Amino acid sequence: MNPESGRRSATVAASREARGAVGLMDEAGRARVRRQRRAGRALGVLAFVPVLLSLALIAVLLLDTTRRVVSVQVIEPYASGQTFAFAQAPFGGDAVARLDMRAQGMAGSEVDTVLSDAEERRRYYGRHRIELMWRTQDGPLRWVVTHQRDGRVTDVDLIAGLLRWSELREGLADGQVLAVNPWLDAGFFERNASRAPVIAGLRTALVGTLWVTGLVILLAVPLGVGTALYLEEYARRGRWSRFLEVNIRNLAGVPSIIYGILGLYVFVRLMNLGPTILAAALTLSLLILPVVVIASREAIRAVPSSLREASYGLGATRWQTVSRVVLPRAVPGIVTGFILAIARAIGETAPLLLVGAAAFVPYLPDGLLSTYTVVPVQIYSWVSEAKPEFYRLASAAILTLLGFLGLLYAVANWVRRWSEAGR
Amino acid sequence: MNAPGPPRDVAFARELHRRGSRRRAERLIGASLQLAALVSVLTTFAVVTVFAVETFAFFREVSIVEFFTAPTWTPLFLDTSYGIAPLVSGTLLVTAIALLVGLPFGLGAAVFLSEYAGDRTRRRIVPLLEVLAGIPTVVLGYFALLTVTPLIRSFVAGVDLFNPLSAGLVMGFMIVPTVSSVSLDAMRAVPTAMREAAYGLGASKLHVVLRVVIPAALSGIVAAFILAMSRAIGETMIVTLAAGQMPNLHFDPRETIATMTAFIVQAATGDQPAGSLAARSLYAVGATLFVMTLLLNVIAQRVVRRYQEVYE
Repeated sequence: MNPESGRRSATVAASREARGAVGLMDEAGRARVRRQRRAGRALGVLAFVPVLLSLALIAVLLLDTTRRVVSVQVIEPYASGQTFAFAQAPFGGDAVARLDMRAQGMAGSEVDTVLSDAEERRRYYGRHRIELMWRTQDGPLRWVVTHQRDGRVTDVDLIAGLLRWSELREGLADGQVLAVNPWLDAGFFERNASRAPVIAGLRTALVGTLWVTGLVILLAVPLGVGTALYLEEYARRGRWSRFLEVNIRNLAGVPSIIYGILGLYVFVRLMNLGPTILAAALTLSLLILPVVVIASREAIRAVPSSLREASYGLGATRWQTVSRVVLPRAVPGIVTGFILAIARAIGETAPLLLVGAAAFVPYLPDGLLSTYTVVPVQIYSWVSEAKPEFYRLASAAILTLLGFLGLLYAVANWVRRWSEAGR
Repeated sequence: MNAPGPPRDVAFARELHRRGSRRRAERLIGASLQLAALVSVLTTFAVVTVFAVETFAFFREVSIVEFFTAPTWTPLFLDTSYGIAPLVSGTLLVTAIALLVGLPFGLGAAVFLSEYAGDRTRRRIVPLLEVLAGIPTVVLGYFALLTVTPLIRSFVAGVDLFNPLSAGLVMGFMIVPTVSSVSLDAMRAVPTAMREAAYGLGASKLHVVLRVVIPAALSGIVAAFILAMSRAIGETMIVTLAAGQMPNLHFDPRETIATMTAFIVQAATGDQPAGSLAARSLYAVGATLFVMTLLLNVIAQRVVRRYQEVYE
């Protein structure tokens, strides 16, 4: 490309020189040329605006989501209303739970029985959230224990809250707690879904996403790569292979919700799988199949045919050629395309709403036929709750999802660069 | 001289057997790959069958005339009416807003990247634009509902909480990468010699872009527009979250509507019994959506193939 653009600029320079040649043009002509040149530059600036606006939109989206993740809250505790110094329980967990139960007036032996009984323990952690908060009205960096039934008196955006900090603190009633609540913290990934926003977490959705994604990988890799190999290496060029190609291209353009309808009808109802992980994975596999096939075909086609011919010339069979010559060469391209397809499957919401991920699922999935939820569906249901605290949960989940997708894109990019460097 | 000793015979037989089994293995592999390829055909077949069967069943209870002409869509009310017009008008309204934003922006970005940006700038900006297409649509829906809608409402009076305007605007940005990447490919395929010829005749950059590059790449650009339209029509989460779920037949971008996709989500996540007519209407709406997007995709492919000017 470089020599070409060099040649182009040389041409441009030459034409400018020609146009500017004294005597060939009168004053009006030169003015016209100047005007046109200015218009050309203006078009360039104008064309840059959409690029700038699109990038700005991404930035605003990220900033606004991040801003929504942290809030200042006045909490009216249901049980104890205490905060505990970080030094009292530097490792958190049970130590804080113990302090909390003692503060509620339980005897030491009672506390021990609660913590040693698995069922009691689970119930305690199901109702309480133990959180290290950066700033509370009792001082910085303290453990705050919140109960499911705690009332939220106010929930204010971080900046407004910090500006009004002293005012909020003056207004505290007896026993109320004022704290900065970071919704996206380590505990967010450890808590299961819950109807109470404070103790709701992303764990069920994360585990569900991992299950579904893993299964999609298992299903879509062999199907996608197999189809691509068939089209590129096995099928004779003819009506049948052209039909397959057109079919795959059209499938790639079908809206994802149509796949949801297909999954609902075939997998959930007809095959009677119900709203299970397996049904979701089958649906998503069909959804990303065209993308995987198209990417794999491009990777396979990029393998020079001289290599194939050499292999056949040495007496190798077709499968030997494919498995030992073509595939190893095509793997980086296939992997890159596949990661991008998986990223799409992870962010997909609409088809999963149709095949039944919408249900409220407080427990972890334990097999292919268990109910589940995934991160984007969790985001959807939190946003649909239409309450500020659920919006904060949704924001935290969105940052998690975007971070994970960003990581996948980075890996795909890295694989591509690495394979290009190896050539 | 025919004197093959018994050991040689055995070796030859073994060799034959080995070749035979390898051939069988080869054939098995070929067959299983073909089976994998069949899955995509089966998918298409299944989609078409599901829609055909269910839509047919739906039209036995609701007249096809009512479906296409009745002005209200109220399958979940006591007084049911199945006229798809409000859903189609909602979809087209959001799509129109999205295209109003997405087409000029996408085309502008493509012009910038193809004609003004250097190679290095292009290589940096293209992946950044692709990020827009990679953001999950549920995130864009959240953004439309919680960031864009309040912003619009602070400027424009009389905007509903759920409105097609903010959904359309955000969707417009979502389709920018679709439009720009397909148009960019088409513009890059225009040979440099054509630009040079224009410059040589004394044309300015403005003329080269508007009268040479864009006309030469027109088939690709039109295809990009059609593809973007098809994506906008099929988009679900942004409209479900931000545009509302009230099928109204109007073209006011400030007032709540429902798109076909939003209704499908609503019908599938609600709790109508599976066999009911209301649940069945989901398939009829889905079939309409499927036919619309399929037609657009086929037209886009046709446009590329038929009107593409091939330069040597």
